[in-house]
Amino acid sequence: MSNRDWIVLIGFLSFVVVYGIWKTRGKRDIKDFLLANKSTPWYTVTLSIMATQASAITFLSTPGQAYVDGMRFVQFYLGLPIAMIVLSVTAVPIYHKLDVYTAYEYLEQRFDLKNRTLGSVLFLTQRGLAAGFTIFAPALIISVLLGWDIRLTIFMIGGLVIIYTASGGTDAVNKTHLLQMIIITIGMFSAFVVIFYKLPSDISFLDATHIAGKMGKLNAITFSFDWKDRYNFWSGLIGGTFLALSYFGTDQSQVQRYLSGKSIAQSRMGLLANGMVKIPMQFTILFIGAMIFVFYQFVTPPLFFNSVETENIQNSLYSAEYKKLETDYSQLHAVKQENIRGMLDAFYENNDGELDTYLQNIRNMNISELEIKEDAKDLIHKVNPQADTNDTNYIFLSFVINFLPAGLVGLVLAAILSASMSSTSAELNALASTTVIDIYKRLFKKKASDRHYLIASKAATIFWGIYAINFALFANRLGSLIEAVNILGSLFYGTILGIFLVAFYFNKVGGTATFFAAIIAEIVVLAYYFFTKIPYLWYNVIGCITLLIIANLISVHRLFSQNRGTA
Amino acid sequence: MIKNQSNNFDTTEERPPVLSSWNKLYAVVLFNLVFLIVIFYLFTKIFS
Repeated sequence: MSNRDWIVLIGFLSFVVVYGIWKTRGKRDIKDFLLANKSTPWYTVTLSIMATQASAITFLSTPGQAYVDGMRFVQFYLGLPIAMIVLSVTAVPIYHKLDVYTAYEYLEQRFDLKNRTLGSVLFLTQRGLAAGFTIFAPALIISVLLGWDIRLTIFMIGGLVIIYTASGGTDAVNKTHLLQMIIITIGMFSAFVVIFYKLPSDISFLDATHIAGKMGKLNAITFSFDWKDRYNFWSGLIGGTFLALSYFGTDQSQVQRYLSGKSIAQSRMGLLANGMVKIPMQFTILFIGAMIFVFYQFVTPPLFFNSVETENIQNSLYSAEYKKLETDYSQLHAVKQENIRGMLDAFYENNDGELDTYLQNIRNMNISELEIKEDAKDLIHKVNPQADTNDTNYIFLSFVINFLPAGLVGLVLAAILSASMSSTSAELNALASTTVIDIYKRLFKKKASDRHYLIASKAATIFWGIYAINFALFANRLGSLIEAVNILGSLFYGTILGIFLVAFYFNKVGGTATFFAAIIAEIVVLAYYFFTKIPYLWYNVIGCITLLIIANLISVHRLFSQNRGTA
Repeated sequence: MIKNQSNNFDTTEERPPVLSSWNKLYAVVLFNLVFLIVIFYLFTKIFS
């Protein structure tokens, strides 16, 4: 990295930390600290919701996802706008009118204490672990860039986020999100422009798009239904709606964002605007990944994108073997490049016969490339049995470091760090709220001064920060980060959503029936996870529907028994 | 005992910052979703 990059990066990091501390001045009130005194306008709510969801994982892992698997991941977000409408109609007015600090407070008002505690504990478990991922992602960048041990970078970045979040409170989180989203947009747009600038001069934007499409990377929509297929239209629309309902309606890290809205209308508008812009934003990020794929069809990509592991093997006994694989890979790539150009010519000449031949050649060469990559991974494993051989998360990063001009590298890294800090701060903020409001204040210390709870909130932020750092230390071995986060969420979200749906829509179902149904639904979801191969988006549907059915059955059974008793 | 609070999904309170009613705004969000799905489908078909 050049000096200019370091100036941009360090300048940004310092700014965020100082801004967070500065914003804590005069905040002596728990409502101000946790809900920003309910004074946030809708556009800040929207940006804050987006910044919370779009973590560094989004920018590191999503382009890599498109590079490896194509753009079909965009279907994951198809249910989101529907969920935004449902929540605007239901959850927003209820939460606002009851003037709650957390979503789980509502569960006690509707059911009883045990449901509130169950909802809180499920949230704390899931979100506490997810916060670990959000800290891990930028730590990964620094460790690859500087060659530092990743544990050191996790501690360093986690520490900075804790200081900023414990000092800032919700108001600072929301206002910083605004600036962070601006940096993120500029950073990603710059990367997008550079990709096209770096393509060979005879390859136009349209050519690049055709190449990506012919090589199966622009598969944005697939209507065919298959249980084994993780992302298709149906899993995205149905499973995605359930996941988004649960994430935005019951996850305190998001609920806290729109609870800080000035009014019901401002909170609603914040959610609906998110429903309009989220899918195009994800599409753009995935498209960047697809274009990086095209770029690497004309520039030989590294055999393995993780430069730390590559250096390790180059300095090992297997160096000669690895070098041979690199040479084979490079030669194969040169032949493939000729075939891609031939394919493009055949396409423009409408020569279907030649086009099919070229496409078949390219497919065969892709298989050979994958075999060489597998051999390389085997060697990497021999040198370091603990090595992470999934390099999806390094693809975008590798491109940024090696091909972006000085200054822009720092800007993109600042954008990625912005994303990480914004979501981590929101997560720690929400974890602290739930711990203090739903657990500490409700179960252990019901009457204390406002200042006491304010200090408890800051202490809880620090506690959850340390917890997340510890989990981040294990995140390195969990494959594609964005998928790992979503799988983790899906294990719990269906059950949590089911509890809230019963609360909203099934007025005759009581707290005990809901509580036991939730326990059974969670066991069912975990059984599906451990013993079946059903894609994870469906866990949200399974958990939620199971809970709804069992809660209603228990409720009907109890009513029936009571009627028989009184007859 | 069921402590049920009445769930009043009231949509009439405050007008949205844009457009004249919430129902119109919800329709715009849904239309936008359908539009994106159609565009993505065409995008997939044209470039595959």
